[in-house]
Amino acid sequence: MADTSHGTGGLAFDKSKRAWPNEVNIFIALVLIVLIFEALGQLLPYMKGQSMLFDFNSGRDGTILNMARIKIIILQVSIIGIIALGVTQVIITGGIDLSSGSIVGATAMISMSFAQTELVNGNPNPKAIFGPWAMDLPILVPIAVGLGCGLIAGSINGLLIAYTRIPPFIATLGMMVSARGVAKWWSRGNPISFPTDEYAAISNGNLVDGLTFGVFSESWIVTQVFDGQNPAIYFLLLAVLFHFIMKYTVYGKHTYAIGSNEDAARMSGINVAWQKVMVYAVAGMLAGFAAILLTSRNVTAQAGMGFVYELDAIAMAVIGGVSLAGGRGSIIGTVLGAMIFGVIISGFTYLKLDAFYQEMVKGGIIVAAVVLDQWRQRRAALKS
Amino acid sequence: MKKSIVAAGVATLMATSAIGQELGASIARFDDNFLTVMRNGMVDHAGSLDGVNLQVEDATDDIGKQIDQVKNFVASGVDAIIVNIVDTSAGAAVSAAAGDVPLVYVNREPDNVNDLPSTQAFVASNEIESGTLEAFQICRNLRAAGKAGGAMGYLMNGQLSNQAAVQRSKDVHDVIGMDMCNFMTLIDEQTANWSRDEAQSLMTNWLSAGEDFDFVIANNDEMAIGAIQAMKAAGIDMADVEVGGVDATQDALVAMQAGELDVTVFQDAFGQGAGSVDTAIALVNGEDVDQKVYIPFKLVTPDNIGDFLDKN
Repeated sequence: MADTSHGTGGLAFDKSKRAWPNEVNIFIALVLIVLIFEALGQLLPYMKGQSMLFDFNSGRDGTILNMARIKIIILQVSIIGIIALGVTQVIITGGIDLSSGSIVGATAMISMSFAQTELVNGNPNPKAIFGPWAMDLPILVPIAVGLGCGLIAGSINGLLIAYTRIPPFIATLGMMVSARGVAKWWSRGNPISFPTDEYAAISNGNLVDGLTFGVFSESWIVTQVFDGQNPAIYFLLLAVLFHFIMKYTVYGKHTYAIGSNEDAARMSGINVAWQKVMVYAVAGMLAGFAAILLTSRNVTAQAGMGFVYELDAIAMAVIGGVSLAGGRGSIIGTVLGAMIFGVIISGFTYLKLDAFYQEMVKGGIIVAAVVLDQWRQRRAALKS
Repeated sequence: MKKSIVAAGVATLMATSAIGQELGASIARFDDNFLTVMRNGMVDHAGSLDGVNLQVEDATDDIGKQIDQVKNFVASGVDAIIVNIVDTSAGAAVSAAAGDVPLVYVNREPDNVNDLPSTQAFVASNEIESGTLEAFQICRNLRAAGKAGGAMGYLMNGQLSNQAAVQRSKDVHDVIGMDMCNFMTLIDEQTANWSRDEAQSLMTNWLSAGEDFDFVIANNDEMAIGAIQAMKAAGIDMADVEVGGVDATQDALVAMQAGELDVTVFQDAFGQGAGSVDTAIALVNGEDVDQKVYIPFKLVTPDNIGDFLDKN
């Protein structure tokens, strides 16, 4: 990828001026952060030489790696990571989506109320929202309801932005406030608990047994990393799917085109308005899916769920090199950004440090990522 | 002269009659599991009283907004105000905002609780009881399980800005400091912000350190349930670990029936809500009111769980 030929202009997405893809830089940053935590673990006296990622003495899972740690690093960012996949596309169009966290809250409440089970330990469900008709429904019902809610909320965002021409910040801010209101109103703030076993299995079951991975079935990554890690599997499968969509389909190319230069995109015959509606609808649907995973994993829905998830999702994308100016960034970058988040959260618990420091460092890394990106862009512009 | 007689008459009428009383309440958060039970207690109880009209507002965890809501209630002429305070250190500001209108603090103890004017009161449970009951029962269970030679465990804190979380964690440390329970050692303590989801991640992180442990004490039930889910996912036998929470929510009681949660503490949320309405009405009627009304905590274990199934 050492293509150093001089570019054809100053367009932000012109990758020809890059020494190597930005994703490589982000990967290096990820490795560096891991090394910092490893080194601190070795140096801080109270850690007694414990290692974050390796397991030198026991080899608990038959490998030298601490698989439990690697699993939680991916698992704890999977649900917000799925939201970030949608937010990435929105940001690439030059927009922003502030509503995803609230959409998660509203969707969580609504879909969970169609997933309840009639009897809990032989007693009637104490948190029942609807009558018996809504109990023990087939699992497809709550899933369809959840995806539908996300799709509707996202489409409203998209339609407002595309056809009333209000800034995405305002449209999604409105949705953020309203959807949170829906979440609280739905059951008057009461939590909704006790879903069917099938619904709980969406996140807590073992998808590895149900899926066929062909030649990979016996591979280390399937048997060790993804075993019993359903949200992580969904996250990475969706990431692969959207990577291909963004790179090789008309949908992806139009999304990049709008973010790079909306007027040019319009003049070259792209239906900009409709494309935007689709992008926001997809982002809403992904938030809806995240809500299904979150409620299934916690076997409860609460109106506060998803609070400020939108900011974490935006931060993952930004750390992953997605430019807030639009037109630049990738799904791979966002996945790496999510991993950096996961390493930081897990690393601070590993060092037994309080959550305050975690927040301070997280904020610093978000700003540093943008500063570095600006600096790279300026340097690239000077070179051409 | 005539005028003042009329005024006195109106005043007596207002003081003696419960007809047409307007109450305003500002709750820290509408989306909190426990506060919702408390709010339902207020609404149900007010609804059962003749002529009492209760309007409830959501302060969305914003103290500035809460003070504005109190001022709005005053401006719209309510007879009494109930406040579930967002920030326990802002008592003076909230008390001042209410002026002469009777005010009842519920559930969360404001820092000025000892200097309240005679028109104001506080209804809650005393948090010193909750954490102590919880940790001491865990200690007894561990002893009964023959682990008095030494037991390791984790402590999950609630939101660190919250007085209840700080007090409950302090209670746990105090119990562990007692001679009877000093065989217990905390490996680590961290906040999971009262949330089941965060607790699940935190517990999984702790599990990945691979250290052996015998107990997990959480400041509330939601976090205890999150920890249980993480341990179950990791294949840990819940009979080997003592897990404690506080609140005795429905979800927690179900977990206790399943043999996963060992200890919780019942905080009478519904009773606090109803009690705050009663106290507010008593203040309006000029009755003699205790300025601190404490509703006791009760320990819940599998032995007496039947008494609590239909409470919260």
